[in-house]
Amino acid sequence: MAQGAITFLLQIVVFPGFLFLVLAALFYEWLDRKFVARFQNRFGPLHTGPMGLLQPFADLVKLLSKEDIVPLAADKLLFSATPIFLATFPLLALFCVPIVENTALIAFEGDLIFVIFLSTLIIVSMFIGAWSSTSRFSTVGGVRACLQMLSYEIPMTVVMTGPVIVAKSLSLSKIVQWQSSGFWFVTTQPLGFCILSICLLAALQRIPFDIPKAETELVAGWATEFSGKKLALLKLAEDFELVLAGAIMTSLYLGGPSGFWFMPPFAWFMAKLTLCILILSNLRALFARFRIDQLIRGLWQYLIPLALFQIILVQLIPW
Amino acid sequence: MSMEAELIRSLIRRPATLLYPFKRRPLIEGLRGKHTWDSERCIGCGLCARDCPAFAIEMIGTGPTAELKVDLGECIFCGQCEEGCPREAIKLTEFYELADPKRKNLILEFKRESV
Amino acid sequence: MPSTIKIPFGPQHPALKEPESFLFEVDGEYVVDVVPRIGYAHRGIEKALESRTYIQNLYLIERICGICSHAHTTCYTQAVEEALKVDVPSRARYIRTIVAELERIHNHYLWLGLLAHEIGFDTLFMYTWRDREIVMDLLERISGNRVQYAMNIIGGVRRDITPEVSSEITKGIEVLSERMKYYKKVCSDEKTMLARTTNVGVLKAKDAVSLCAVGPTLRASSVKRDVRADDPYAAYDEIPFQVVTNDGCDLASRVATRCDEVVESVGIIQYALDHMPKGSIEVIVSRVIPSDEVVSRVEAPRGENLHYLRSNETDKPARYKIRAPTLANLSALCKMLIGGYIADIPAVIAGIDPCFCCMDRLTFIDVNSDKTWNWKCDELRRHAIKWHKEQ
Repeated sequence: MAQGAITFLLQIVVFPGFLFLVLAALFYEWLDRKFVARFQNRFGPLHTGPMGLLQPFADLVKLLSKEDIVPLAADKLLFSATPIFLATFPLLALFCVPIVENTALIAFEGDLIFVIFLSTLIIVSMFIGAWSSTSRFSTVGGVRACLQMLSYEIPMTVVMTGPVIVAKSLSLSKIVQWQSSGFWFVTTQPLGFCILSICLLAALQRIPFDIPKAETELVAGWATEFSGKKLALLKLAEDFELVLAGAIMTSLYLGGPSGFWFMPPFAWFMAKLTLCILILSNLRALFARFRIDQLIRGLWQYLIPLALFQIILVQLIPW
Repeated sequence: MSMEAELIRSLIRRPATLLYPFKRRPLIEGLRGKHTWDSERCIGCGLCARDCPAFAIEMIGTGPTAELKVDLGECIFCGQCEEGCPREAIKLTEFYELADPKRKNLILEFKRESV
Repeated sequence: MPSTIKIPFGPQHPALKEPESFLFEVDGEYVVDVVPRIGYAHRGIEKALESRTYIQNLYLIERICGICSHAHTTCYTQAVEEALKVDVPSRARYIRTIVAELERIHNHYLWLGLLAHEIGFDTLFMYTWRDREIVMDLLERISGNRVQYAMNIIGGVRRDITPEVSSEITKGIEVLSERMKYYKKVCSDEKTMLARTTNVGVLKAKDAVSLCAVGPTLRASSVKRDVRADDPYAAYDEIPFQVVTNDGCDLASRVATRCDEVVESVGIIQYALDHMPKGSIEVIVSRVIPSDEVVSRVEAPRGENLHYLRSNETDKPARYKIRAPTLANLSALCKMLIGGYIADIPAVIAGIDPCFCCMDRLTFIDVNSDKTWNWKCDELRRHAIKWHKEQ
């Protein structure tokens, strides 16, 4: 009994829990930066560690050592709490994603709803952070983040029900187990996979949906006033979100850690996650930024009907 | 989506970035850099000092014994001294890495060898 | 209570590369009115010109603008040569034309990248700025510097273009032309780019003329006006070329106009290289300029440059006045912004290719009451004398 508890604790803290996820987040930030840089015919991170591998870590340490400024007019408590919220929620959501084996650390019926709920809370905390920092740029950025959430969340949730309906379960682990026969949902619901990628791109606030923190319009949008340790946590949170997005794509459509041949499940998961993040990086390098009204119109006009169409397809052809 | 092909091509291509302090590109001929002065040719007319738009050149003395002082911290490397010199005594070379933490190291003092 | 609110934009803003302030009156997401407030980057260049000799001024004029440095010096040397009544050798005029067109290519590549960056298209930004290196290397090869070329001197040009350099230019501009054609295709195919540029910052031809817009901004509103064709200088009277216009009147047509201008410039350079006359490249001129009054015009990459010179038989100008193209485009810019979205402000401002530091001249602003006014030269002098007496 005690041994089981210790093992569980180790799993939570070390692998595949907290420590592993921090390292993975930093690694995938590096990969994303490197990949976008190569797309743009640049080198990207290069000098810190082998091939610049330690650059995200160095950035984190640098930000931790910087001066932490809180605006005079800010709501101190909420302002300080926001980075903690932002870093915690995606981390918590990642515990629900099966990484090493077909069952996640935290698995219960309905944990997919829990993950969606947490992803909404991320945006809500962004808005709280923006509102509490009382800066002009932050406020506009926060409002834009909420508007964006109202647009992408509906098609995202709708399209996520596709695998749920077929696997007859609301648990990520169960969905992964259903796919472990090698029958991945991406083969039967490619449209759903595309819609999910687009929605996740909007959730991650990356080009072409980086409207809430449009650099040339709003400095850093809702994150403008954060500095020092808070900014370090925000950056880490961003990386967690990136990993979470890739992990959700992997679990729902690519069969999570399940695989075949000689490779262990964990290696399969990492390979699929890398692939998903490469897709997201590629999309980031490909577009110009939309305007907020174009984004809302586009998502409501095209993506929601398409997502509903995908669900109807799933109902008609039940796999 | 119209740039996808170019993006994929860039993945295989070598990055265009020049890793400057580690690798230098070949010097381009005719670059306007650090000055040289030929004391044999200089007649000390003072045209370079007079025309310098940044007031970076100082001529110490006049006539054939005159010596030259160029403040590279002030110099804008326009090349007017080279252009205006009737005897081609002052010339800009291709050496351009002139940064120095101390301003006084940037002052070039050209002396005549004592006869 | 009024339904509009006032939003200040600048002088410090991530979309502005130089300090300039705009006060926007917005109704929801729409811009209702805009008041620009210039004068943040006033450098006192006109006054400085009066206290330096004509030769020293050559390099001060060059530093008005980092991008159109050659256009400004061409304008200046033209004015001085006109006052001196000297004829520049035709080889020098051809070399001036070649450098001016290379500079135009450089500017338009830079501008396309900046515009792409403003609308979040960073990949296009990286690509255009990578290819800009080619033209910068060519300019360095010709003149010895990447930005401040110092090619013009009074009475000609400083360096000759040798046959080796000429063949290097031919090779370089061919690549540049191909790349620009590709970028034009990207800009007209890419949906996200089109969404941000079509019907954004509309400037009708009638408004463009009445608000005195210049350069590509004017030509993108289908007005065929170009100093190179209307009042040829340098060697433009001997070189056949088309004045590129576009009738879209919006940001997308400004992109198309500038892309086409690069291709046209490549043609001009190639023709000039092939038909360059032999002979000397400069004439010796006197340092003292006879008393005269001259106005000189040059089509800079951003539009028409206007320089005014009054000389008084000394080696320093008595008065020198510079009208940079951004100043002419500023009132047209305000017209473009009104009625647009707030989110489009950075892209529209970047669309006229602003260079606020070139443009800023002296204005008087009472910071407390926000009142602005202008003074004539003698009023200013009287004020200065009074001020010094009080000290």
